[in-house]
Amino acid sequence: MSRRGLLLPVVGFLVLSLGCAAAPPKKDYAAFHAANPRSILVVPVINNTNNVEAPGLFLSTMPIPVAERGYYVFPVNMVRRVLEDEGLSDANLVHTADTARLCNLFGADSVLYVSIEAWTAQYLLITTQVTVEFDYVMKDGKTGDTIWKEHKKVVYAPQQQSGGSPLAALVAAAVQAAVTKAAPNYMPLARQANAEVINTPGVGLPAGPHNREYGKDTVSAK
Amino acid sequence: MTARRSFFLLLAAFAAAAVGCAPRTAYLWGDYDTALYDHYRNPQDTERYVERLGQIVQKAEVEKDKVPPGLYAEYGYALFEAGRLDEAITYYGKEREQWEESRVFMDKMIRNTRRLKENRPGPAPGGELPPPAGTIPGAAPAGEAK
Repeated sequence: MSRRGLLLPVVGFLVLSLGCAAAPPKKDYAAFHAANPRSILVVPVINNTNNVEAPGLFLSTMPIPVAERGYYVFPVNMVRRVLEDEGLSDANLVHTADTARLCNLFGADSVLYVSIEAWTAQYLLITTQVTVEFDYVMKDGKTGDTIWKEHKKVVYAPQQQSGGSPLAALVAAAVQAAVTKAAPNYMPLARQANAEVINTPGVGLPAGPHNREYGKDTVSAK
Repeated sequence: MTARRSFFLLLAAFAAAAVGCAPRTAYLWGDYDTALYDHYRNPQDTERYVERLGQIVQKAEVEKDKVPPGLYAEYGYALFEAGRLDEAITYYGKEREQWEESRVFMDKMIRNTRRLKENRPGPAPGGELPPPAGTIPGAAPAGEAK
């Protein structure tokens, strides 16, 4: 818990520093609104990196932001185990399986497929640069059509040293070390990526039926 | 001032900033994501996992509409893996009651678990979800009355 206490402010700072990024172009939500899903089946993620812990860690960060957005999220661990029993123990198999059939198994309205494209720590001279990158694709359970997708890359590196103060560099390095040495290392970055992908106006996931903003949120406004 | 001291001061400042704008969540999650992750890393640690999810359920249940979607089901499945089939069925039922979106799935799981309990293995009519591998039918602890 103390580690988490240390990481939270760091993430908070990251979020704050990213708050001023320019709003990306709005995307077309027609297919999403036509499908109007209430529930989302988050299936095991494809791992295109060589970090073996990435898929499990990432999957565990998904339910909270998606549910908070207003959707029923199927229990990810239970779903993973049930799929294994179905012979779909490999995420690649799950992702290539028929979406409608998958949804039928669980009574789900939609499926959220994520693949991990990068999950690396690059050790530089005094710091470590951490990069995570994800692809999110959501498909309608009836038609199998893609109704939402997003790509996210988060790079954690020390802030630019404006004054060139050696003390500031040292502090930044210490914060950096806290992020990269703590276990699980990548949790805050995965959380951050998810939060941004799901909640960013104009590109995020529209508010679901369990969210007060349902039907009137600005994320998906035309 | 030492670097170490200013480091902590800086952290404190960040913490204050983060707390100031921390969004309130609709549900009470506790340490749900780390509990899931720890179980993923160490699937043998069933007892600890059951205990952690149980604590999250207990805290969330104080306010009924604060129980997150999937939590009852995940807890039920943890109980199931621990061989506590009756309790598993109870929590699948709670998930089913609270979230209508879960009904198809929970109905199947309840059916499969009951069948396992009754020591009658074999495919259910139309039931595509078999009991988890590694669960030997009839291996449920004795005293599962009712």
